[in-house]
Amino acid sequence: MSTTPVRAAMVPVTRQIRAYFAPVNRTSETPTVFDPCSGMFSLDAPPRPWLDLGWVENFERWYNTPTDVVRSGVKGQPAAQFRGPLDARVEFTFVEWGKLQMALACGSEHMNVLAPISGGTAAPSGGTPKPGVAVLPGSTASELILGAGAGSAFAPGSLLAVDVDYQQQTGYVGSGIAAAYVSSAAAVMQDPNYVRRVTFNVGRVVEVTATSLLLGQPLLGGAPTNGASAQAVVAFVDREGGSFFQEWSALFVAEEETGGRVCFYYPRLSPNPGQGSSGAIWNANSTSALGKGSSGAGFAGTLKSTTGSGGRFAREDFAEIARPLSAISLRASFLALPSADLNDGQMVVCYRSYFPAGMAAAY
Amino acid sequence: MQFAKDSFFLELQQRLASLNQARTVTVNGTTVPAVLVVENLPPSSAEPQPNTFYIEWGAADVVGGHSGNSPLMSVDVVISYYSFGSVPSMVDRGRLLAQLDDELLNICQPPNAGKRDYTQSPSVDLGTNVFWNQPSFTEGKGAGLYWGKTSFPERMKSGVTDAAESYQDARVERKARLTIYFFSEVTLS
Repeated sequence: MSTTPVRAAMVPVTRQIRAYFAPVNRTSETPTVFDPCSGMFSLDAPPRPWLDLGWVENFERWYNTPTDVVRSGVKGQPAAQFRGPLDARVEFTFVEWGKLQMALACGSEHMNVLAPISGGTAAPSGGTPKPGVAVLPGSTASELILGAGAGSAFAPGSLLAVDVDYQQQTGYVGSGIAAAYVSSAAAVMQDPNYVRRVTFNVGRVVEVTATSLLLGQPLLGGAPTNGASAQAVVAFVDREGGSFFQEWSALFVAEEETGGRVCFYYPRLSPNPGQGSSGAIWNANSTSALGKGSSGAGFAGTLKSTTGSGGRFAREDFAEIARPLSAISLRASFLALPSADLNDGQMVVCYRSYFPAGMAAAY
Repeated sequence: MQFAKDSFFLELQQRLASLNQARTVTVNGTTVPAVLVVENLPPSSAEPQPNTFYIEWGAADVVGGHSGNSPLMSVDVVISYYSFGSVPSMVDRGRLLAQLDDELLNICQPPNAGKRDYTQSPSVDLGTNVFWNQPSFTEGKGAGLYWGKTSFPERMKSGVTDAAESYQDARVERKARLTIYFFSEVTLS
């Protein structure tokens, strides 16, 4: 390799943005740290506990933190600057649908529709479910031990939710990842299945053995806790409304086609759809890719409208394949919450990392 | 520009060798992975061989809207191939063409490769990548009458010329088009 710095290698070129999320400990409000030391990871194998949510489109991030000026003297000369209230947002479109993608796009409690019992009471987010099957000790995040014959309640290919029974506890519920906040047992009708209705501990059965279920992907919350049960899931539901706010750490990576890699790390993101947008948009379907948001007079032909008339937020995007076929994607919008930097205690809402290409000039 | 063309061609050839070792072609007595560049072959070469990817270079341009001291360039690429199938009755020619389609799509991933100077041995990393868009496939059929063309007139968008339709044989053909991008070695003043 030549050691001569290459200025062309200083131009990061990307075609798409990949999203990774990791849970925030809601009790302590501790985010998952992304250490740039591990920034050049394989995009298909992110460092734990980051979860790959796939490529996203129409990636847009912006901040609205005002910088004000202190003036002094007879002529009011600028004497100093200070930053006003922190305000930063990020918006994008999930191309793929799944439990996590829906929960993040919705932002409130995300419901697993448990397989119903015959003759049960109907409900929009899932009616009376079949009873859970107890998960036995020795189970792992990828294999659920149920005992001889018990696995017959689940067919290969079926989805299931694994978590503890609701037993009058209050506060955050959901093993491994806070899935909802319960203020009182009465608020959730003392439903013993409530935790499994909202838990992120879901998986798909790929094989049923004599005593266990093998899952295609490990449970997000890790190995089932003592007292956990499994229930079949037939669908996912999110709702407009609810009082709970999801909160996650997020990492966005601009895959490098040439030049260096650029990463955006948000320690704490909370869904906040409905606000206006004005940032730079990455639109992979555009011919010139980079554009400006609704308030910018930027590059032509790249703006993809995500707000309807009156600034209303479009929950879904429809990408036309060929009339009348369209792919439906999930539009997500987040408010960046602050976190204290571990090195100097500064309150920060976002980090931008750049990993120069091998022969790129340093400046 | 030649560095980018060489890098793209050799990357595809190496990826095909890894993907399907049996997909080879013999040229002048030498067996190589079945990716060839038409302009590297003698003009008097015989008709293209079946089950082989032929790369042809098209128009080159400087990509507008990009500023920097190295121009970002593009070159259109056409990759042509055809098949008679693998059995005397040729009834599997469509399946074999589909397999070739898959192989081409596969070796185009990831859609970038390091740009290297292959005029030296060992080759030298030039510090940037060649990258390209996803190939678009067009159907072809007939006697291969449009081999060697690198322009894309409207009447050939379907991949089928009038003459080819008139003289069809049993082959099934495909043309895949894509554009490669790279930073030129020329420094703008």
